[in-house]
Amino acid sequence: MNPKFSSYAHPEVLVDGAWLQEHLDDPGLRVVESNEDVLLYDTGHIPGAVHIDWRGDLQDNTERDYVSPGGFAEVASRNGITPDTTVVFYGDKSNWWATYALWAFRLFGHTKVRLLDGGSAKWKAEGRPLTREKPGYPRTVYPVPAKRLDDEIRAFYPDALEHSKKHRPLVDVRSPGEYRGEITHMADYPQEGVLRGGHVPGARNVPWKVAANDDGTLKTFDELKKIYTENLGLKPDDDIIAYCRIGERSSHTWFVLSYLLGYKRVRNYDGSWTEWGNTVRSPIAKGEAAG
Amino acid sequence: MNYPPALEEIVAFFEGLSDGEKRENLIAYADGAPHCAPKEGEAFDLEDTRKDQECTDTVGVFLRVDPVSRATHFRINLGPQVQTLTRAMTAILCKGLDGVSPEAVLEVPQDFVPKIVGGQLVRLRSQTVYYILTRMKGAAKAWLNRERAAAGVR
Repeated sequence: MNPKFSSYAHPEVLVDGAWLQEHLDDPGLRVVESNEDVLLYDTGHIPGAVHIDWRGDLQDNTERDYVSPGGFAEVASRNGITPDTTVVFYGDKSNWWATYALWAFRLFGHTKVRLLDGGSAKWKAEGRPLTREKPGYPRTVYPVPAKRLDDEIRAFYPDALEHSKKHRPLVDVRSPGEYRGEITHMADYPQEGVLRGGHVPGARNVPWKVAANDDGTLKTFDELKKIYTENLGLKPDDDIIAYCRIGERSSHTWFVLSYLLGYKRVRNYDGSWTEWGNTVRSPIAKGEAAG
Repeated sequence: MNYPPALEEIVAFFEGLSDGEKRENLIAYADGAPHCAPKEGEAFDLEDTRKDQECTDTVGVFLRVDPVSRATHFRINLGPQVQTLTRAMTAILCKGLDGVSPEAVLEVPQDFVPKIVGGQLVRLRSQTVYYILTRMKGAAKAWLNRERAAAGVR
């Protein structure tokens, strides 16, 4: 195991490129690429990796929700995944969408999940193999999960509102400019339909990026502990909600808090700022102060 | 609305493809995007390289207009972080608009994008596919303004 991983609360959840390259042919393992760049997988991916699209495969875009348990079982089955399959996620943008897909798999109770530290950029930088060949796996029968674990790792608007009112930990992982309400989109991106800028009153701003190194790998346990436990003051039993704009950057922070630091109650508010900022009469704080 | 003939041909080609075939052909165009970059020794009437908020990386737009025929020739340089779909659209636009007048560049409507890309890939976060056309129009407009200014001086 990569020595960096051993300090994390759940070291088994991370793999590095060397380990993954060695285990690509393991029968019980499926590599899943999930990206923001909708065509990136087609330009070259890890041999044997399948592509799961955050929007096309995991979301119900009519209801702005996730797919049903039956829909998830279908996605898993057609990619040759069973409940016993160890799924290793990776992708672009420092694994934003990989952690989002991993979180979505957890929503449906799939426990054997892993993340490739550094995602596709690190894999490519290390000169590891890529292919454009799309694999075909025999279809499996993934039993339809009894329910989606919305209560456990997902937060909704009323949950975030209650957290705000009761001064419980809310972590806004967007950029400081978004948090302060100066901009309604992140740098380098188009507007995604937000009418107002600012943050949820009481939320503290810890941008997702502080948990990652420049090469997309995750910071060490000690570095993360300093950021979230010492500086932000999160306590082991805290009930924590993380949000961003549409839930992908906060998936990254959810992963860090849950798996690397071991916080037991962390939820991702996927409605995030595009819901909060547009909701009539939802309270908003602007500026540096949490409010 | 009619598009310039070369662009019309590309749109017609893509409209007949399945989603999977569209993806394959978009990748082929994206692979060809580096050929749209300026070549050694080429001279341009207008060069505009910048990093805008709405795109993930720097984009350079280089325009040469034939003084007699007024045919435009674009070269476009893309930073490494520019997304694949935007790369594909760059190659499509460089080919599809090559040789048309600056006025014709300004008149190109954006509705060809979903016809080429297809419903599966059109999403809010991929709006930068429109960005390259906007930059090309900006360059054409700047060239026309310069032309008008020069005519006024005379």
